[in-house]
Amino acid sequence: MNQRVPWHSRFDLLGVTFLLFIAAALGSLPGIEGSGRHLDHWGNLVRFASQFFPPDWSILDRTFVGLLETMQIALVSTFWAIFISIFLSLGASRNISPAWILWPTRMVLNVIRTIPSLLWALLAVVIVGSNSLAGVIALTLYSVGYLAKFFSEAFESADLQAQQALRSLGASPLQAFRHGLWPNARPVIWSHCLWMLEYNFRSASIIGYVGAGGIGLHLKLYAESADSWNKFSLVLLCILVIVTTLDFIGEKIRQSLRAKLEGKSKK
Amino acid sequence: MNAPTPLLEVTDAGLKIENRWLWRQLDLRLSPGCFLAVTGPSGAGKTSLLRCLAGQIPLSEGTITGKETSIAMIHQDLQLADGATSLMNALGGCLRRHSFWSTFLSFPTKERTEARRLLEQFGLSGKENQWASTLSRGERQRLAICRTLLARPHILLADEPVASLDSTWGDRVLGHLKETSQDRNGCIICSLHDESQVTRFADFRLHLDESTPEGWKLQSVRKDKTS
Repeated sequence: MNQRVPWHSRFDLLGVTFLLFIAAALGSLPGIEGSGRHLDHWGNLVRFASQFFPPDWSILDRTFVGLLETMQIALVSTFWAIFISIFLSLGASRNISPAWILWPTRMVLNVIRTIPSLLWALLAVVIVGSNSLAGVIALTLYSVGYLAKFFSEAFESADLQAQQALRSLGASPLQAFRHGLWPNARPVIWSHCLWMLEYNFRSASIIGYVGAGGIGLHLKLYAESADSWNKFSLVLLCILVIVTTLDFIGEKIRQSLRAKLEGKSKK
Repeated sequence: MNAPTPLLEVTDAGLKIENRWLWRQLDLRLSPGCFLAVTGPSGAGKTSLLRCLAGQIPLSEGTITGKETSIAMIHQDLQLADGATSLMNALGGCLRRHSFWSTFLSFPTKERTEARRLLEQFGLSGKENQWASTLSRGERQRLAICRTLLARPHILLADEPVASLDSTWGDRVLGHLKETSQDRNGCIICSLHDESQVTRFADFRLHLDESTPEGWKLQSVRKDKTS
């Protein structure tokens, strides 16, 4: 009873797409060209990297001021993005909105997501000038594209039964949403908000490069003056500490929310 | 069940799901104060009957008529908001009486007091601020009952409301439902599996037959005077 299976039966969708990816990556190699000159790559790297050390701690005070502004940009832009996204996500949720609201809203969100944060920052600098307000506008718009999509997915995947039960008890559609659907979607939504705050802090660190406020301006100045890579490394070190702290806190909160929703924790 | 003004009247009703009649030619008159137990094997159509009476499934034939009155149902699958506290879940029952904005962030004190009283009666005091997802199955069942009772329905439909409770809690809950319903001059239609609970609490029993859609039987339940 040793039946041979056809060779092609081993290739499911996952296998086929993985093979296509490998083939496409290998096929792209000829398109990647170096300068053609003989360079001492390793030596260059060592010389350049050595300029980062030791970090110049004398600029710590200045760096804190820049980081504070970066955090303020991240906090304010995330706040506004959450506020706007809640409304937009209602329009982009299949189980809440009719098709004539759903598709235009999703199209708007697609357009917003297409534009990278640095381009939003450039646009904002052109409109309001080179300051931290430009950073807030840029990151708010950028975040809305993602948060509204994540929120709408949270509403679509949330358990609808509580909402239906409240409707059957006489609640209005809005009341059933507020007390039936919202509590079930809220932990997932809050988890996305925390992720977006971390992301916005990283983005706010770079948009200063185009004049949109924050620590990015410091990075630009140190990168442009040839002997300041040790100052540059201190700024990177501070960003790393803050991003790691935010990531740690965010993960702890997300874990706690997941455990609570799955009934594994009573806190 | 001969009463002058029935709360609910079902005439010649039938339900067909996927080319199979669950029950047909069903006639019922539900008077104020009455407790009707619906019994029968799994798949006989008990839940479907309750959902038809709640207006959630249309009948395939026949009619359901009644006074303009409130109906509420305790669902077998509970349908709680897992990410909301026990208190907020219970308060969901009173939404019909209030506007959206008056319940947007908080609820009127009177409703909160009543909800807390119900939670206490059903053994959930001290768990008001706990998410529903963190409660045990039995606690969740009692919470779903609190929510439905806070809706103050005249006709209470209960789909196996004590299935996850031990006999002590089961009896307490059924006793409470019956007492509340009689106080409000309403009626209860409740699917039950436990024969002794049917005998002790129900006034009438509707037994659905899985094999014959017209084979349902409506009987008065003889009360055991010692119980």
